[in-house]
Amino acid sequence: MLKKTSIVAMACVLAGSMLFAGCGGGEKKAAAPKADGNKLIIYTSMKESLIKGIVTGFEKKNPGIKVDYQSAGAGKLMAKIAAERQSGKILADVIWTSEVPDFYKMKKEGILANYKSPVFKEIVNPFDDYDGSFHAARLGTLGIIINTDKVKTAPTQWSDLNNPDLTNGRAVAPPARSGTAYRANAGRQTQFGPDFFKDLKANGARVGKGSGQVIDDTASGELSASLAVDYITNAKIAKGAHIKMCYPPEMLVVPSPVAIFKDSKQLDAAKKFVDYLLGAEAQQLVANQGTIPVREDVKIDPKFQLPSPKEALKKGIKVNYLEIIDSKEKTVKEFSDLMQVKK
Amino acid sequence: MASGTIKKDSGFGIAQVILFISIAILVIFVAWPVLLILFNAFFVDGKFNSMDFYKVLTEPETFQALINSLIIASMTTVGSTIVGTFFAWLVTRTDLPYKTFMKSLFLVPFMLPSFIGALAWKMLLSPHSGYINKWFMSAFNTTEPLFDIYTYHGISCVEVMYLFPFVFIQVCGALERMDPTLEESARISGAGLFTITRKITIPLVLPSIMSGALLIMLYSMAHFGTVAVLGIEQGIYNIPTLIYEKIHESAGSFASIRTGTVLATVLIVSAACIIWAQQKVLSKGHYQIIGGKSFRPMELKLRGLRYPLLFFCLAYIGFTIVLPTVVIFMVGGVETYGLPLTWENLSLNNYKYILLEDDVTSDAIFISDTLGLAAAFITMFAGVMISYVIVKMKVRGKGILEFLGMLPFSVPGSVIALGVILAWSGQFGINIYNTVWIILVSYIARYMAFSLKANSAALEQVHDSLMEASRSCGASMWQSLKDIVIPLVRPGMISAFFLIFLPALRELTVSIMLYAPTTRTIGVAIYTLNEDGETVMSTALAGIALIIIVLGQMFINHLTKKASE
Repeated sequence: MLKKTSIVAMACVLAGSMLFAGCGGGEKKAAAPKADGNKLIIYTSMKESLIKGIVTGFEKKNPGIKVDYQSAGAGKLMAKIAAERQSGKILADVIWTSEVPDFYKMKKEGILANYKSPVFKEIVNPFDDYDGSFHAARLGTLGIIINTDKVKTAPTQWSDLNNPDLTNGRAVAPPARSGTAYRANAGRQTQFGPDFFKDLKANGARVGKGSGQVIDDTASGELSASLAVDYITNAKIAKGAHIKMCYPPEMLVVPSPVAIFKDSKQLDAAKKFVDYLLGAEAQQLVANQGTIPVREDVKIDPKFQLPSPKEALKKGIKVNYLEIIDSKEKTVKEFSDLMQVKK
Repeated sequence: MASGTIKKDSGFGIAQVILFISIAILVIFVAWPVLLILFNAFFVDGKFNSMDFYKVLTEPETFQALINSLIIASMTTVGSTIVGTFFAWLVTRTDLPYKTFMKSLFLVPFMLPSFIGALAWKMLLSPHSGYINKWFMSAFNTTEPLFDIYTYHGISCVEVMYLFPFVFIQVCGALERMDPTLEESARISGAGLFTITRKITIPLVLPSIMSGALLIMLYSMAHFGTVAVLGIEQGIYNIPTLIYEKIHESAGSFASIRTGTVLATVLIVSAACIIWAQQKVLSKGHYQIIGGKSFRPMELKLRGLRYPLLFFCLAYIGFTIVLPTVVIFMVGGVETYGLPLTWENLSLNNYKYILLEDDVTSDAIFISDTLGLAAAFITMFAGVMISYVIVKMKVRGKGILEFLGMLPFSVPGSVIALGVILAWSGQFGINIYNTVWIILVSYIARYMAFSLKANSAALEQVHDSLMEASRSCGASMWQSLKDIVIPLVRPGMISAFFLIFLPALRELTVSIMLYAPTTRTIGVAIYTLNEDGETVMSTALAGIALIIIVLGQMFINHLTKKASE
């Protein structure tokens, strides 16, 4: 009989602990966005510094709507969306990244809602085939950033990257991870031909870990220069990092589209968010971060040396997005094989 | 005991139910995910296909990862064994000053998670910007860095720094428990120190050295953090980092999952071999060491070397523990990475931001704490129950449970993570992928081994006669359980709880494969912040994690001291 009771006691204890864990878990879940709640969920590759202000402003203007956002690399978000689709339901209502080909792909797959925003006529549109599936909400730029302690003469041309002054020190983010980096590569490959990267490699360039990390590596002097995203760089400069942003005449302009998912239960709120994002107030926040807005009526601080949206589109390297969707995997692979040393 | 026979007759009694529950827990949490990995590695479209397994394995990328794992693990093992054995000998068999204190100092590296160590060493020794390298280059007016941390050597050195205690503890134990009369009789028979060491001491402690070395081998092969921080950028992948990359890039595409399962299978097989070899080595060495009796082994007089060696030990600790910790806290204090570490650049702003303003990091701290607590509670109680069945119950079918109970000891973290992805992401009706639950499930699987070990050890010491005595004195069943068994097992339960809670707090290998943007653990938050280029935030969070870990450890030490008094 001895065992029977002790066993029962233990089973009770075990059940108790499960129960306890259950409660603990419930609390945790409350912190994560719920699919069935009244919250608008945004997946974005914009960094905290940019998205937080916009969401706060939006919530202030629309007191009834609660917003939850997840900020992660474009690749990670697409992986998450793919996994969610497999399990039957996309949790996000709105997606805003810099990976243009992903948007064309999602449009083709028919998972984006068609919404022609009334604000559209006020913005500068980079997409010739606009049909309401997505809107550009920011024109990101990539420039060469240099470590001001190590590099004395700032590069003015892409070809300056091959200067011996910069040997041992360029990096670009791996395209599989970061949307912006991928687009940048595709752009330059069209413009300068495949030899561009080969020459870079010969001058000691390497692939960094992510579009953010190359900036810190440049600031620390681990790299003399790197290819970096505008607003992340400007945030670090504002904090006193010893780096400088340089723009060659052929600019790398990367639109960041925003889109609504067709199955969203928060369609109205999502539409309001897109309108707000394209409006003057949100675009001013975009510009304040040191990246190009999509509105001509928004002022960009001259210290960022950024052109106006229209000018940027004119100067930007032209890219045929439809073409690069199909060749994305190939380009990524070619690029990785060339640049990434696999030991 | 009489009850045993009664239950046998009843066929389906409460004992069977408990046995069944215990088996079910181990099968669901550990065996099934592992089986799914093996199944996915060898079966293509439902058909057995070993050729394809071979094909995936020999792809240049996969093959290189295997080789890298082996290279790094071998270098780490050799290095840790030398360092661990040397220091163990120093603190047990010589007259080094402050020996007990030094012994506890050498256990401190256990507290420092190796990926945080790797972060610190990255800042100290990256070829062009590491603080040591920069100092070296300017002091000697050269452009060649002193040491490049982004190499096989660099990775192995960092792993050695934080893994050598595995060998240290084992060898210390063996040297302390060694029968000194063996050495004395050799000496009386006229053998010199060298002969004694060669013929008596080394053969006696060799099994412990070997078993510690194998432990490190297993750990290093399946180790994610250091290689991820220092290797990926330079193209150095090992098995766990490649599994991570594959899962990460693929959005769950089948080809990458398969590569993952093939790599995981290699890990499972090597782990099984290592565990087997370790058992073999240990069983061979067992009879030569006297356990439980206190002998005073003779001590080597270091004479003039006493203080130089003490200084060497202190310098080693200073270099491997103090220096990286200081760098973590300093860099965590600067406004942005790359600024010189001067007083005017340092502030507490980052720490304030992380704790109070940033949701991602404060959530991560909360999630890790709750996950750790939940995993520790569940695993502790499940471990008591399973150990009770294994150690105390006589019931048919126990053999299966004993076999299953061995499993958690030999399954590496990244294997568990991949297994739970396969098992819990919807294919079998339950989809908890992208939630905290999947991390909880994997923590339970990962830490079951600790709980089983601590609880069986405690239960083995409770003799049946104690219960019988209390029963014959008239105590009720519940009374004797409450007053005898539980108090005796409690230290084991408490130690199991903390053996799980503290490692779970800083876990990286498993949670990095399972996290969703809202379910970052502390480890994941540190890693992703670093990956996203928020170096100073990442180090500041690492600093906070270190404080939590040290406080937790102090609390445990306090508790165990109280328990032993």
